[in-house]
Amino acid sequence: MRLRLIASTPDIEPLIAAAILTTTGSKPSEAYEALRRQPRRAERIVERLEFHHGSVFEHNRLCWLLEAEDEAILELLLRSRFFQLSRLGDERWLMSANLRTVIEYIRQHRDPIAEALLESIGEVAPTVYKRLRGETSK
Amino acid sequence: MRVKLLAYIPSRELLNIAGEMSDLELLSHLAYIFAVEGISRVCSHQLVRHRAASYSQQSQRYVEVERLRDYVVTPKTIEGRGREIFDALIEEASRAYRRLIELGVPREDARFVLPNATETHLMVTMDGRSLLHFFGLRCCLRAQWEIRELADEMLREVRRVEPKLFRRAGPYCYQLGYCPEGRFTCGRMEEVKKRYSSLGYGG
Repeated sequence: MRLRLIASTPDIEPLIAAAILTTTGSKPSEAYEALRRQPRRAERIVERLEFHHGSVFEHNRLCWLLEAEDEAILELLLRSRFFQLSRLGDERWLMSANLRTVIEYIRQHRDPIAEALLESIGEVAPTVYKRLRGETSK
Repeated sequence: MRVKLLAYIPSRELLNIAGEMSDLELLSHLAYIFAVEGISRVCSHQLVRHRAASYSQQSQRYVEVERLRDYVVTPKTIEGRGREIFDALIEEASRAYRRLIELGVPREDARFVLPNATETHLMVTMDGRSLLHFFGLRCCLRAQWEIRELADEMLREVRRVEPKLFRRAGPYCYQLGYCPEGRFTCGRMEEVKKRYSSLGYGG
């Protein structure tokens, strides 16, 4: 099984932080613009967030190129129905999901896909990555 | 009402790697994140019925309404004597809300007296395929005016960044070439087609 992140929504962590600030009174467009300019502030907000308050992690999309046998794909879909898959060719798939789906999969499963998913988000959601890495290494 | 597309994945990023793919298949992998500000709770109630989406909405448990009359949406049809009745109710609701807060009633309970006209802000994320369905239903002339305005603004925003991919987006009569509303049809398909063939393309 090989998995490679090929595209993602930009500024994922400022979007998560903006979603939180929206619920507590900020205008989402202003919060987002401010947080893009202050990545450290966005990071602090995301650091404090409980993973089980999952909906704010849904304002994004991650797309991967996945090379896997049909059986592995079926197993993945049985474990989480929120992954979207398109067959590109023999054992080649385009897969996408939001970060909430990824977080829940990683926290619930210890398998090669969970590990590959975690590695793939290191650059696009570094604060979430660090927290999940801390959890899974315990 | 203010609508802004905050972020999205350009379709070319996927097509460059995934190669040939139908628009519908492609759209199901793309997500569009919007800021929606200054809509009424009437509108947001309709919006969140579209379940294949994600929402983060201003909380009335955590956010206290300061001056209600400055934060309400008033339909254009409410004018003259109707406007007097509307404004009086807003004033009364505002007073009742403030009084309850002063009496120590928690915000989460005081908000029970706030009207549907109260403004709200939210962040909305939909994948491209769900957006097509949303436009199909809510750009339709049978949709309520405020959510139709919202759908039109969202359509303008996505057409600005993906003009080709959303060329066929709009109410279902525009997408399908026939009206699926049966006996409830507005009968104005030609007018609607003309509008949605130019909306967001300088029209």
